[in-house]
Amino acid sequence: MDGPIPADGPLLMEAAALDPLLDALREAGYRVIGPTVSDGAIILGELGSADDLPFGWGVSLEPGGYRIRRRDDSAAFGHSAGPQSWKQFLHPPREKVWSARRVDGGFEVEAAGEPAAPLAFFGVRPCDLRAIEIQDQVLGRGQHAGSRYAARRAGVFIVAVNCTEPGATCFCTSMGTGPQAGPGYDLALTEMVTGDAHRFLIDVGSLAGADMLAGVPTGPADDAAAASARSAVADAADRMGRSMPADILHDLMAGSESAARWDDVASRCLTCGNCTMACPTCFCTTVEDVTDLSGDHAERWQLWDSCFDLDFSHLHGGPVRSSPRSRYRQWLTHKLGTWHDQFGISGCVGCGRCIVWCPVGIDLTEEVAALQAEARQPAETPPAEAPQPRTGSEPS
Amino acid sequence: MTVAAPALADHAFLRGMRADDVARLAGAAVAVSMPAGHRLFDEGAPAEKCWLLASGHVALDLHMPGRANLIVETLAGGDVIGFSWLAPPHEWQFGAEVVEPAEAFELDGATVMALCDRHPELGYQLTLRMLGAAVQRLQATRVRLLDLYAPPGGAGA
Amino acid sequence: MIFQAVPARYRVASRAAETHDTVTLGLEPVDQPIAPHRPGQFAMLYAFGSGEVPISISGEPGGSGLVYTIRSVGAVTQALCEAGPGELIGVRGPYGTDWGVTDAAGQDLVVVAGGIGLAPLRPALLAALAARERYRRVTVLIGTRTPDDLVFADELDIWRGQGADVRVTVDRATVGWRGHVGVVTQLIDRLDVDPAATLALVCGPEVMMRLTARSLLARGVAADGIRVSLERNMRCGIAECGHCQLGPLLLCRDGPVVSYERAAPLLSVKEL
Repeated sequence: MDGPIPADGPLLMEAAALDPLLDALREAGYRVIGPTVSDGAIILGELGSADDLPFGWGVSLEPGGYRIRRRDDSAAFGHSAGPQSWKQFLHPPREKVWSARRVDGGFEVEAAGEPAAPLAFFGVRPCDLRAIEIQDQVLGRGQHAGSRYAARRAGVFIVAVNCTEPGATCFCTSMGTGPQAGPGYDLALTEMVTGDAHRFLIDVGSLAGADMLAGVPTGPADDAAAASARSAVADAADRMGRSMPADILHDLMAGSESAARWDDVASRCLTCGNCTMACPTCFCTTVEDVTDLSGDHAERWQLWDSCFDLDFSHLHGGPVRSSPRSRYRQWLTHKLGTWHDQFGISGCVGCGRCIVWCPVGIDLTEEVAALQAEARQPAETPPAEAPQPRTGSEPS
Repeated sequence: MTVAAPALADHAFLRGMRADDVARLAGAAVAVSMPAGHRLFDEGAPAEKCWLLASGHVALDLHMPGRANLIVETLAGGDVIGFSWLAPPHEWQFGAEVVEPAEAFELDGATVMALCDRHPELGYQLTLRMLGAAVQRLQATRVRLLDLYAPPGGAGA
Repeated sequence: MIFQAVPARYRVASRAAETHDTVTLGLEPVDQPIAPHRPGQFAMLYAFGSGEVPISISGEPGGSGLVYTIRSVGAVTQALCEAGPGELIGVRGPYGTDWGVTDAAGQDLVVVAGGIGLAPLRPALLAALAARERYRRVTVLIGTRTPDDLVFADELDIWRGQGADVRVTVDRATVGWRGHVGVVTQLIDRLDVDPAATLALVCGPEVMMRLTARSLLARGVAADGIRVSLERNMRCGIAECGHCQLGPLLLCRDGPVVSYERAAPLLSVKEL
């Protein structure tokens, strides 16, 4: 990530070169994390070798539905919207923040130690790359420059993978986050599988990326290969399953406080919080202070939290956001609207995970369309039934 | 001491009232200066007057056995003191005592009622203002009942 | 704001009971002291093994000391209120926006406090009284539950001596109370206000602040001439846990002091 981007054009490598690349990363001291099949899903786990990658596996996606399926080719990256995102590594679900122990005259506090091996993320989709950038903004910059997140993030090596096959629930194009990876990667791969040929176009994004390829068999990409890769990605931009009117989202959310649509979605939403767990940008946490039985040793732990939790907005004896309606409204208006006010950027990258992993299949693109339609209508509250005057005499 | 209409017209309670109605009221009003400690009325006594307080500070109180007089509300310049003269049983429900020396216009209840009978417009204007003052006090009392400063978890935040 | 990986330890130098459930603690640093608070800011105070709570600075002790006034309403605040001289407390801060009392220079300053809300306002008032000539009239209106719940009761005459018009009203009187009885908004209704040249600082329960702002607006004070101190669930204090959101605001960073012009539309939305 440091240093100027090499000016030479893209490189080409065979799929067989994936192992040397993974070896190079491990030899450089990285723990390599990437997609792998497990428990009927494509999850993110530590890669021992290229064999751990999900060659030939794809996914079928729909609101509230995710199934892996056999592809008719051997692509390793022909899938999307897995249940996890890279945030579990940069912003862990459970993390000790500090520990304290009683001593004579009071107590001592010690910050929790940092993890040992730096991480290499292998196979970061463009939407997820943007999500990492968003979390960097929220958790790692400005006043957070000294945080644990920032320390963890500084050492990460990123191999992004451009998308050539969007999922049915994807909408990165309209959110401006893909299918081509934006800046922030060390290397970006574009997978090309035609018949028996399985190759990757490589864009080098940093000096560290260039260095990592030193022992890996690559060659300059010929124009045909480069063109083929670029057009595959460009085509993907037009094949998104969904879309969002990104440029009006902030104002739409700001004006929708009393929209009737919230009641509609509230009748379906279970407030289970799956969306917040699966979302790659949701960052909310809570803290837990625990002691051991002796009471002499205390620890402060940071845990993922969700605005759907009733306790999230607890104030003076009860939750401020008590109704499911108010909690769904908070999540969506924050993600698409007030995130801009708070951080200067959108909170949504168009990965579609919230659609896939919602147990009742709530689709935020549909909700936005409904809110938009409602906003366009003139206020049309039907007149309330006027109370009928009591006549005092029986109807004849 | 009788009251000149312009002096009465200045009082916040009568703001906006027509000059001739104010003049009628002035005929029923007496300007009074009350020292600290002066009791305007006691609980249970016949309620025959009301006061438009111009300055100073008057406390409405209740006598509680073993607890002396407990103040239930305090009134200051601009406030009207006394509603119980308006309706039966025409008896004061609380007592009233001057805390800080007060200047006020004292109105005789019977005279004011007779004036209102003869001049319905005056009656209407006075009723509106009395109602307004009572509503304000009712609203303030409701807020006090919320006990906002109680420990959280008790009253609403 | 400097990122603190752990709380800074402070020793309780003094402890004064304000009322039956409220205590003022004076703290002196054991570790490297944190940056000085500006009036209106808060810190996350840590009681060993219990947890952290956000507490506004309530005094101006001078030097590197800190002063906080804490009401015992839960496990952590109870532990803090029970801390005696010599005990250690953890402090992270200072965080948040300040009252900006110097913006009232040349104007009338009206401070309206409800209950424990007087504590976060006190540093602003002390700063104003220390430079009294900069302000025209300085008025302090205090609403409290009963006379026994009045905090800083023994300082009111000192403030009057320094040029503040201090008026106290109670929701409910006790025997012997000869002062005002009624809601604090009634004190506003009776105040001589110069609407064009008034800065009002308001702190107390949210309902009290809304009603107070309403009374001030009715007297002609502009919404941007009224500042309130807002409160929501706070866990980290450093704008990374998401809990203290109120619409577009993160109250640990964009508050707690917020102009009423900004706060009013947010406070009027139920369950925002």
